[in-house]
Amino acid sequence: MAYSEKVIEHYNNPRNVGSFAKDEPNVGTGVVGAPECGDVMKLQLKIGDDGVIEDARFKTFGCGSAIASSSYVTELVKGKHIDEAITIKNTVIVKELNLPPVKIHCSVLAEDAIKAAIADWRKRRGDNFASGEQPLRAKEA
Amino acid sequence: MIECPSCGRRQQPLLICADCGSPLAATLDCFAALGMPRKLTIDLGALERRYHELSRMIHPDRFASSVARVRDASLRATATLTRSYRTLRDPVARGLYWLELNGEKLAENNKRVPPELAELVFEVQEQLAGMHDAPADSDAACELAAQVVARRSQLQATMDASRAELERNFVKWDQRPDEKMLTLELKAILSSIAYLRTLIRDVDRALENSKAA
Repeated sequence: MAYSEKVIEHYNNPRNVGSFAKDEPNVGTGVVGAPECGDVMKLQLKIGDDGVIEDARFKTFGCGSAIASSSYVTELVKGKHIDEAITIKNTVIVKELNLPPVKIHCSVLAEDAIKAAIADWRKRRGDNFASGEQPLRAKEA
Repeated sequence: MIECPSCGRRQQPLLICADCGSPLAATLDCFAALGMPRKLTIDLGALERRYHELSRMIHPDRFASSVARVRDASLRATATLTRSYRTLRDPVARGLYWLELNGEKLAENNKRVPPELAELVFEVQEQLAGMHDAPADSDAACELAAQVVARRSQLQATMDASRAELERNFVKWDQRPDEKMLTLELKAILSSIAYLRTLIRDVDRALENSKAA
């Protein structure tokens, strides 16, 4: 199976690889995995008091598509409010990277990583901030 | 019911015709193919005996001079038998297959990697990256390679322990197959094994590469 040009480009030049210090109060960490293939993905988001994602880092141990998906996601979420970031669907990633059907689970993993990182940030903040808005938005959707 | 390609009588879907003993190309699940109960715990001795017995009866060599449809049935029945035996013989493959038969997907509601396991994955992968980046043949490279070799046996021990835990728990899961919590537990152990297997594979590849360099 051939990787798309965009996957290869992200694979060769991954954006925002690395980690933030885990104990930084404004960092949310999401670690998710795909048990079928054993891929593991860590996504960290640095989120401001206003709920806007200021920066992102990832580390992914997996195939080219998993690495490209997480690399692309770090670019995608930067500057977005968490309420918007949490609605990002894997289909956006599939489209951008031209992922074939057998690699769709890599994009699902990246979507789950965003949700897990935001959930972690919320938990660390004590669940107070921005959670009031969440049910409202859910109703609208 | 299917028709026996040899005697033409209607038969239960099995690998062998009850009337004439010829092979049948039935579509069967792995347990049914070997006549084993659909359970996680399995009598490995009985499984092996059954496999050898059936393989002798349906072996393509026995039907080399038969008509095409019987030869074809023999080939297909043998393929089903071998695939079924390999799946059931290995506890991990059997567990995954059992989930599949019960309409469960390993990855469903199961994306969170246990924190200790995630730590381990990241720690080991850092080690591998360090070994990769160290100048070839340097003292540092040798030392890092030795650490990775030690890590390899540690990971294997963890894997062996997880597989043993899986087999110990098969009994419990067989007793209450419908209990959601227990199915989740089975998925969790199978997932841990999958993450470990990938990690060990990456360690082996890194060690191979460092030897080649």
